[in-house]
Amino acid sequence: MAIFEVFLKKDGRDEFRHVGALDAANDELALVSARECYVRRAEGDLLWVVRRDNILSPEREFTAPNADKPHRHHSGEAVAARRKALREMTKAQPDE
Amino acid sequence: MNEISIAARDVILAFVDDEHLMGQQHTEWIGVAPFLEEDLAFASIGQDELGHAAMLLEALVGTDDADIDALAFYREASQWRSCALVEVTLPEWSDTLLRHWLYDAAEELRWQLFQGSSVQLLADISVRALSEERFHRQHGDALLDVLLRVDDAHDRIMASLHKVLPLALTMFDGAPSEADALVEGVISGSLISLLGDWQQRVDHRFGPVDWEQIVRPVLSQRKERHDDFAPLLARMLEVLDLDRTVTW
Repeated sequence: MAIFEVFLKKDGRDEFRHVGALDAANDELALVSARECYVRRAEGDLLWVVRRDNILSPEREFTAPNADKPHRHHSGEAVAARRKALREMTKAQPDE
Repeated sequence: MNEISIAARDVILAFVDDEHLMGQQHTEWIGVAPFLEEDLAFASIGQDELGHAAMLLEALVGTDDADIDALAFYREASQWRSCALVEVTLPEWSDTLLRHWLYDAAEELRWQLFQGSSVQLLADISVRALSEERFHRQHGDALLDVLLRVDDAHDRIMASLHKVLPLALTMFDGAPSEADALVEGVISGSLISLLGDWQQRVDHRFGPVDWEQIVRPVLSQRKERHDDFAPLLARMLEVLDLDRTVTW
């Protein structure tokens, strides 16, 4: 048995969305099960079923450093907030 | 609705009752099948069969739920036209899988009998049902493709095949007015006329069956019920009987 991830898309401009996973013995059974388990009430018009093993998924550290890069946010609010915080920290410690 | 003759009603009821009970049997696997995906799949396929029964019932009595319930649930046992295959309780999963495959292999042929029906509504319903049945057969075949390649599973499947085959032959028992319905053009052939095609499908799927060795069931033109019918119907009525006036 292998684990498969299931994605559905409604016709139109919506993107494919992940709706769940399932266990199946092979590709055909994965498709058949996905149809009966996730699309039986016409929840989507298009179906993707992907073997979880085929999804490239790096360790968390691969993306973690990007959590603290406010200069990449185009609104400027995050940068302004950070500059303000630095100024206040400097005021609070004038001798250093 | 008055275009449905008495003979037509009889052959339609034979299909209604088979679809209704087959749907019920499949949905009873919800929560107890060997794994989650399969209990959902069986229940989902069962709901398709219930949908087919509902469409045929509407053809007989219109869309009033009370009338549909009266016909679908509250006939005397002798007035039902189901076959033993769909009435019997099969607690073993492998037996149930075999029933699913054997029933659906015949169901496609049975809908084809309605395709050119003199009752246009039946022809229309058959188109809809056949489009769904394709996926029921794919489900059964995909499972069997995997299981028949594993020694232990293969042996269990073949044992179940020979256990269920005598019951499956009851599918080809025609309702009392079948001959009249045939003359009226409601159906294009009798149920027994499908037997040869169905046996070929079975042979092709499981390897040649020695049909002479398969015990022939006693047929009653669908007027007699299997012992498991009464408890099955009691389970089906458990909620409805609480209050028949409630609109769900």
